Amino acid sequence: MQYWNNIINTAMLGTAKKPADTHGLPQGPLLDAAMQILATPALDREDQLLHIAAVTYNYRQSGVQALSSTGTAPVPVCDPEDKPYCSSAAIKALQQALDTDNHILPGLWLEYCAAAQQLVPPDYLPLVLETAYRHKALRVRAAACCGKRGEWLAQFNNEWNFSVVTTSLEDQWQNGTTAQRLIALKTLRDKEPATALSWLRQTWTKENAAAKTELLGALQHHIGPDDAPWLESLMLEKSKQVREEALLLLKKIPEASLHELYLEVLRDAVQINDNGDIICTLPENINEQVFRSGIEKLSSNKNVPDTDYIIGQLIGFVHPRVWEKHFNCSFEEVVQRFHQQQALQPFIVALVNAITWFSDHKRAATFMRYSDTFYMDLLPLLPEEQQEAYSLQYFDKYPTEILEYALQQPATWSPELALKILQYCAGNPYIYNQSYMSNTVGVLPVSMVDQLEGIESQHENYKTYWKSIMMHLTGLLQTRILITKAFPKS
Amino acid sequence: MAPDESSRKSGKDLARPAKWVTMGVSETALWGECQGSGSKPYQTQVDTGSLAFKCSCPSRKFPCKHGIGLLLLYAREKASFPVQEPPAWVSEWLAKRAEKEEKKIQEAAAPAKPADEAAQARRQQARQRKVGDGLEEVLRWTKDLIRGGILTIPEKGTSPFEHMAKRMIDAQAPGIAAMLREMAEINYYREGWQHAFMDQLLRIYLSIYGFNHMEQLEPALQQDIRSIIGFTQSQEELKTQAGITDTWQVLGKQTTEEDRLVTERYWLYGLETRRTALVLQYFVRNQPATQVMPAPGSTIRAELVYYPSAAPLRALIKEQRPAPPDHSFHGYTGWQEVLTAQTTISARLPLYNDHVYTIASLTPVWHNNQWWLQDAHQQMMPVRKGFRGIWQLLAFSGGEPLHMAVTGKEKEYEPLGIWHHQEYKLL
Repeated sequence: MQYWNNIINTAMLGTAKKPADTHGLPQGPLLDAAMQILATPALDREDQLLHIAAVTYNYRQSGVQALSSTGTAPVPVCDPEDKPYCSSAAIKALQQALDTDNHILPGLWLEYCAAAQQLVPPDYLPLVLETAYRHKALRVRAAACCGKRGEWLAQFNNEWNFSVVTTSLEDQWQNGTTAQRLIALKTLRDKEPATALSWLRQTWTKENAAAKTELLGALQHHIGPDDAPWLESLMLEKSKQVREEALLLLKKIPEASLHELYLEVLRDAVQINDNGDIICTLPENINEQVFRSGIEKLSSNKNVPDTDYIIGQLIGFVHPRVWEKHFNCSFEEVVQRFHQQQALQPFIVALVNAITWFSDHKRAATFMRYSDTFYMDLLPLLPEEQQEAYSLQYFDKYPTEILEYALQQPATWSPELALKILQYCAGNPYIYNQSYMSNTVGVLPVSMVDQLEGIESQHENYKTYWKSIMMHLTGLLQTRILITKAFPKS
Repeated sequence: MAPDESSRKSGKDLARPAKWVTMGVSETALWGECQGSGSKPYQTQVDTGSLAFKCSCPSRKFPCKHGIGLLLLYAREKASFPVQEPPAWVSEWLAKRAEKEEKKIQEAAAPAKPADEAAQARRQQARQRKVGDGLEEVLRWTKDLIRGGILTIPEKGTSPFEHMAKRMIDAQAPGIAAMLREMAEINYYREGWQHAFMDQLLRIYLSIYGFNHMEQLEPALQQDIRSIIGFTQSQEELKTQAGITDTWQVLGKQTTEEDRLVTERYWLYGLETRRTALVLQYFVRNQPATQVMPAPGSTIRAELVYYPSAAPLRALIKEQRPAPPDHSFHGYTGWQEVLTAQTTISARLPLYNDHVYTIASLTPVWHNNQWWLQDAHQQMMPVRKGFRGIWQLLAFSGGEPLHMAVTGKEKEYEPLGIWHHQEYKLL
C-alpha cells in the first residue's frame, strides 16, 4: 500500500516541511475524497493531512485482504498414532502431578503411561514437553509418551527435540539426541558389552569432544579387560576431558597396564618383615607414569605424610583381591590384617575406597562382617536386606548420609525406615522443608498416607510448620496413589 | 474465580477433608474451619446464595485459598459436609448480609427523590465543557506533532503521552487518556512503529472530530463516540431495557491488568441469534468482582443487553443460568467472509475494536517467520505475535484444519479456542 506509506512519510517529515498531497492515491472514491479535503480552505495543513490519513485509514480498514497461501509450503500433517490415548482418570492424575511443581510425580506418571503403552492427549503435550525440557531426567519417558504428535510438534520447537520417538536401540543410537544415544548405549552395554564398545568405536571419529566424554560414561557398566586396549589408545586424544574420562575408566580395569603399574609400586611398598609384621615404605624410584595418571605426590593434610598419601591413593585404585595373593590369605584375613597391623591401619579407608571403586559386592559384605566401623560408601554394595538392616542400625549415627542415600534409591522404603527418617526430619523442618520432603514422594510407602499427619515434631516451635509439610506430603502421596490407580495394569 | 494461579493451586491443596477441623452446610451457606499456620483455625464461610466469601485469615486475596478450597471440596465431596444449623459466626455474618440486602431493597423501593433536573443539566454541561476543553488541547497537541513531524517521537520517550493522558484524566475524558497510554506502549524500537503510531493517532483524531461534530452523527454512533471518550453508561439503566435471550457459548476470556485494575473480556456467541457479544468486567486485583461471570468454555442461557452502538458488541448479562453444554459450531467459512463482516462493521463504526469470529477449517501454517491461520480457500491471516497458546493449538491441529474462535481485526488474530472432536476446547 504505497499510498499509506506516502502518508506516513509526510507525517514523518511534518506538514511544515511537506504538505499533504494525493500522491499515489488510487483513482476512485479515495482520491475524490482527498481532493475534496485539499480543496477545503477552512482546513489547515495539519487538518488536511489528518483528514486524508483518517479517510485512508478507513479505506484501508474496509478493504483488508487475506494473504493468498499459494506457494506457501504447507505444514506436514502428523502421522496417526499407533497407541491409544490414556484414560480420563489418567489425565486427571497427570493434571494433579503437573500442578505439584515436583518432577517426581510427572516422571512416575510418564513411566506408568509408557509401561501401559499409552499416550498423552494432544492438549497436554506442550505442558508435558515443556516439563520434560526443564527436567532432563523426564525426557526419554516423555518422548515415549508423547507419540507421533509430540515428535511432530518438536520439529517446530528445538527445545523439545528429545521427543523424537525411536523404535529400536539401533535407531535410537543412530538418530537420537546425545541423551537418547547414551541411554541406548548403556542399555546395550548391559546386554552385550562388546557390541556396545564396537558401536562407540564405529562412530568415534564423527563425535565431538562433549559427546565423546558423555558417551564414554556408558562403558562404566561391565567394564572389562576387552575395553582396555581401546581406552589406552584414547590417551592420544586431543581433548583433555576425553583423556581424563578414558583414564578414569582404565583405572577401573584390573587387567589394564595402569593397574599393573600401581600394583608394582604397592608390591614393593607393602612388605612383611621377618617378624611377620607389615611395613609400608614407598620405593625410591617410582615410574613417573604413575603420577602422570593422576596420583598426587603431595598430601594436603599435614597429619598424613606424603608417602602414606601416595600409598593410600594407589591402594584405592588396585582391586582389593590383589591383597589375597600378596598376603597369600583369604579376604577375611586381609581385612583383619588391615585392622590389626599398625602399618596398614591408616589405609583401611583406602581399602574401602578400592572395594567401592571396583564395586566389589562380595568383598564389601566380607569387609562389613569384620569391621566395627560403618562405612557409608559400602552400603550400596551390600545386599538389599543388609542395606535395610544397616540403615536402620546406623541411622541415628549417620542420619543425613543414610537419608541422602535412601533418597537416591528407586526402591520404596520400608515403613520402619520411613518412620525413622520422617521422625528425624521432623526435628529439622527448616532443613527438611516442604521442597526437600517433596523429593521423598517416590520412595515413601503409600501405606503411610494416613499416618503422615500424625508424625509430629518434638519441638514445640516446629510443630505447626512440620504439620504443614506433612499435609503437603500427604497431598503428593495421594496424587501418587491416583497415578497408580490410573494405570492399573502397569 | 481464583484471583491468581498460586491461589488456585493452594486452594486445590486445601480441598481435602483432612485440612478442615470442622465443615458444615446449610441452605444458604457453606462453612469450615481450616487449620492454618496460626494457633486458631481460620473460619471460612461462603454465602452460597449470592456467592460471597468471608475468611478470618489475614490474606488480602479475594477469595482467599481457604474459600476456594472449601468450595472445591464441597463440589467434590458433598457428603463430607453435614447439613446443620450454621454456627454463630456464620449466622451472624449471614444476618448482616441479609440486613444490608434488605436495606438495599428498601432504598430501591423508596420513592426516588425528585431529581433536580436543572442541577443535573448544569453538571452535564460543565462536564461537556470540561471534556471539550480537554479534547481541544489534545487536538492542538496532535496537530503540533503532525506539523513538526513524528520522526523524533521515539527519542522523546513516553513522558509526552503520559503527561497528556494525565491531562485527559483531569479533563474527565478517561477513554482518550487510555488511548494515549496505549501510544506510550508502542514499541518504538521495532521497525514499522510509525504505522502503529499513526493508527492510534488517527483513532484519537477521529474520536475528537466526532465529538466536535456530534450533531452530524446518528444517535447510535454518538453513543459510541461518547463511550470511546469515556462517558459511562448506567448499567442499572441498561438492565431496565429488554435484552436478547439466547443460549450463549462462552468462547473465551482475555484478562489484562493495569495498575492493579483487572479487565476481563468474555467473548460470547449466541447459538440461536448467531450474534457475538463482549462482556467486560473490571475489578481491583484481589478484590471481589462485582458479578459472577460464566466459566469460559461453558454454555449459558442468558439475557444480554447490548450497549447502544452503531455496531453493538459490548453487552451486559441481565440474567443467566447454566445450560447443558452445546459444542456445536456455527461460523464463517473463511477469511473472506470475516473481512466482509468487518467492512460492514467499519462502515457503521469506523473506530471499531477487536471482534470475535468463529471460522471453519483453519490450519496453522509457518510463513515468513511467523504463524498464520490458513482457511479452506487458501487464504491466510497472521496469528498475533506472542500468542501463548500457539503450542496447544498446534498440538490439537497436528497439521489438520480445525474450526476456531479468534479475536482480532484487520491483519492480526488471536485464537481463543478450537473445536476438536466435536468438543470446544479453550486455548
